[in-house]
Amino acid sequence: MSTREERDRIELLQGTLDLLILRTLLFGPAHGHAIAKAIERDSENVLQVEQGSLYPALHRLIKRGWISAEAGTSENNRRAKYYRLTAKGRKQLNIERTKWDKLAGAIARILRPAEQ
Amino acid sequence: MKRRKRMLEELDQDIRDHIEAETRDNIERGMPPEEARYAAERAFGNTALVKEEVRAVWEWQWLERLGQDLRYGLRMLAKAPGLAVVVVLSLALGIGANIAIFSLVDAVMLRMLPVKDPQQLFSLSSNQTKPVRGGPGYSGYGISLSYSGFERLRQQNDVFSSVVGFVPLGFGPESVAVNIDGQPSLAGGEMVSGNYFTGLGVSAILGRLLTSEDEEHATRVTVLSYGYWTHKFGRDPAVVGKTIALGGEPYTIVGVAPPEFFGVEPGRAPDFWVPLAEEPGLTPWGVQPPKGQSFFTAKNWWWLMIMGRMKPGVSREQARAGLDVWLRQTLTGESGLSQAEAQAFVMKLEPASRGLDNLRGEFSQPLRILMGLVGLVLLIACANVAALLLARARARRREIAMRLALGASRTRLVRQLLTESLLLAAAGGLCGMALAGWGARVLLLLMSGGASLPLEVHTNLTVVGFAAGVSMLAGILFGLAPALGSTRLNLNPALKENADGGFDEGRMRRWSLGKSLVVAQVAFSLLLVAGAGLFVRTLMNLEHQNLGFDPRGLLLFGVNPTQNGYEGPRLISLYDRLLQRIRALPGVRAASLSAIAPISGWFNSSPISVEGGQTKADENLNALWNAVGPDFLNTMGIRLVLGRGIGDHDTSTSPRVAVVNQALARKFFGNLDPLGRSFNFGRAFKPDEAYEIVGVVEDAKYTDMRGEAPMTAYIPFSQAGEIGAMHFEVRTAGDPAFLIPSLRRAVLEVDSDLALSELKTQSQQIDESLVEERLFAKLSSFFGVLALGLAAIGLYGTMTYSVTRKTNEIGIRVALGARESQILRMVLGEAFALVLIGAALGLPLALATARLVASKLYGLKASDPLTFSLAIGLQLAVATLAAYLPARRASRVDPMVALRCE
Repeated sequence: MSTREERDRIELLQGTLDLLILRTLLFGPAHGHAIAKAIERDSENVLQVEQGSLYPALHRLIKRGWISAEAGTSENNRRAKYYRLTAKGRKQLNIERTKWDKLAGAIARILRPAEQ
Repeated sequence: MKRRKRMLEELDQDIRDHIEAETRDNIERGMPPEEARYAAERAFGNTALVKEEVRAVWEWQWLERLGQDLRYGLRMLAKAPGLAVVVVLSLALGIGANIAIFSLVDAVMLRMLPVKDPQQLFSLSSNQTKPVRGGPGYSGYGISLSYSGFERLRQQNDVFSSVVGFVPLGFGPESVAVNIDGQPSLAGGEMVSGNYFTGLGVSAILGRLLTSEDEEHATRVTVLSYGYWTHKFGRDPAVVGKTIALGGEPYTIVGVAPPEFFGVEPGRAPDFWVPLAEEPGLTPWGVQPPKGQSFFTAKNWWWLMIMGRMKPGVSREQARAGLDVWLRQTLTGESGLSQAEAQAFVMKLEPASRGLDNLRGEFSQPLRILMGLVGLVLLIACANVAALLLARARARRREIAMRLALGASRTRLVRQLLTESLLLAAAGGLCGMALAGWGARVLLLLMSGGASLPLEVHTNLTVVGFAAGVSMLAGILFGLAPALGSTRLNLNPALKENADGGFDEGRMRRWSLGKSLVVAQVAFSLLLVAGAGLFVRTLMNLEHQNLGFDPRGLLLFGVNPTQNGYEGPRLISLYDRLLQRIRALPGVRAASLSAIAPISGWFNSSPISVEGGQTKADENLNALWNAVGPDFLNTMGIRLVLGRGIGDHDTSTSPRVAVVNQALARKFFGNLDPLGRSFNFGRAFKPDEAYEIVGVVEDAKYTDMRGEAPMTAYIPFSQAGEIGAMHFEVRTAGDPAFLIPSLRRAVLEVDSDLALSELKTQSQQIDESLVEERLFAKLSSFFGVLALGLAAIGLYGTMTYSVTRKTNEIGIRVALGARESQILRMVLGEAFALVLIGAALGLPLALATARLVASKLYGLKASDPLTFSLAIGLQLAVATLAAYLPARRASRVDPMVALRCE
């Protein structure tokens, strides 16, 4: 795969960001910057989130009721907005994860039929 | 808006926090502060765009899209203003007609009485299931109880928290002689129990209303209605304390009722109310009781109308059962009926939250029929608009295909198109509201036949809700089919296609949608056209029948001198003087008087017993009779067959005589000579009450224009016993209208206190009796023409499109030698086929519907073949007109141009 050499970091598929946010919040509430950092860290910097794009996604998830926002204090004692996974979000994470597995499997089968 | 601003501020803060945190991270990683900040901003991306996207997430998105859709819709409509105008006009007519009729339905059938807790109100009346000799005498008008019965009911009952009684002071709307500052006039009033207003929960707008003390002491006080106060006194607040004469006695005005209170019966709004009491001038129903008797003591006269406010927790069944027992006790006690006879009576307890239902009874069926008619008109208008929009959608195929290709979802596009339809519907609805306000007034005039029907028809929440609902429904109805049809596209050919040419499978399907819309319009308009035919022919049959008398040049008016204290011989002599005075007027050819004016809807009816006659118990021996003055038959133009008419020499002291019509003579005497025989009114023959038959006349209509002329007897009014108000008939040489001023003067010369009532020509009287028929004929014709016009527009549009679509085919045919006439026939044939399919579908529907209005027809059957053939013929004629232009255009197609189209 030539692209692998050209670009180590790949852009996110539409919709996958939601999944990643939900997954990140599974470990507890976090503020925006922390979420962005966590995604970068966990993907070993392969996935690049343009940090700003996190915010429309966060608000979309709030609107769907999958996460909630609350005021809190950050580690260095500053006021910050925290995002927390709701029960509905937790359920949704499972659904999204299953969907993702299926999609990833399907794409893998198409791209690498020989290995099947 | 505030909330939105706060949310924006929070978002800003969030983003700033984020960038700061990233900057700190970068500094920790060893970047110089300025670079760290720059890197953080770069990593974050375009903040303005992020904010925009977040806002898009929050947006009341549907609202914003609706705004977009509306703006876009308006732009699209502005591009085709002609179409928009036609569509809005069709809808305005369709929706407006519906609103107009509905506002009447609301006023007559739906609206609650403007009183406190109207749902607690019930009206009481008794119903007789079989005739009982010696039972209570009814005046036949939703009557409830005798006065003593009412007294006992209001003193003790377990059912009602309050019981109110009321009675009109006459049968007509203007039956009481009023004198205000020396000016005589007529008005309609009601006598009500003292607790009438408090029981209903109505309070005065000026002064006070009546109280129980007023009834107890029979104080001569009166409360005016808001309407009467307005047009008689110019809303002068100084009327309180003023004295006016009612029925010749002075009454003091104590207050004015609120504007919305019209009494308890829609369509019969009293001008004033007085306390329920024995009065010389004002009597229940305007009827003078026989000498020595009184409405208030007679136990067998049931004349008082009653409403009660049900106690909470009492069920209607419980209440009715309790009242039934009470009624039987009253009947066996006061009225002296046997137990068995009393069983023939049942109590009726009807919800009265919408008032008494006399008007409802009279108008609910016509209104339902009219509602059906206008519903059809709206359906046709919707089909028409749908066809127009479909054609428009075809013109927008490329635009729609482009938007679909660029990724717009089909639902989004359908919503866009539906928004446009709803926009049109809303515009149509608004224009319709304006039309309806005017239409309802015209309707009210038509319904009341010129006389004013005191009915509050105004736009209230119910009507506006109905209008909005109908408009929405119409919008969806005519918008959905084109919206769904036009977004179901095969993209490739649609994008490639040039303006008109080209075929594809999707297009064939849409074409048939347009076709079925035309078929539906034809089917529905057949219903309306055939209905119009039936109603118009009914009216013609009624108007052009032989009445048995000559209604032309005949003037009618009524007087009621009993209100001015005339009675007995003085009354008869007054009538004689009036008649002499009127006969002497120049321009009068003949004049007479009668107790009942012909074709006024009123009648006297009695069983007849003839000397030596054998009466079978079950046989209907009821005949109508009229007390008439000298020369009545001649004045009316009723032709004498045998003997003589009633003349000046038939007086109260001369032998009792009568003239009968042929129907009566045939029934009672067969082929025998009726002259010289005697009969009397009642079930048994009594020689001292008998009238000798001195003449026989041809049958003439009496009460109304429908049905066979009834068996009728005419007796001299001076020999009729009790008489009261009389109607004069004046045969004039020229136009009766010219005689009116001198007639008024003549009456006032005899007695300046006499007021003329119901002054009109016999033709007007007949017109008034045909109000409903005329209403149906006029409205159904109007709607029929409207429907035909709409269907014609629809057919024209569809045929034009069809011809354009077939330009190629026609070109080939012409190139191969088809003649102009053949092409013309081909296109017209297609139009005819559509009309015939529509007619075939509409005919059974129309026949079934016509059966519903069979009782409204006269002189023809609901399935009248002539009417239906005419209706179909008319539709074919209109179709020919509508299809001719497109057909001619088709026949002139130049084959070279047509073939090059491809």
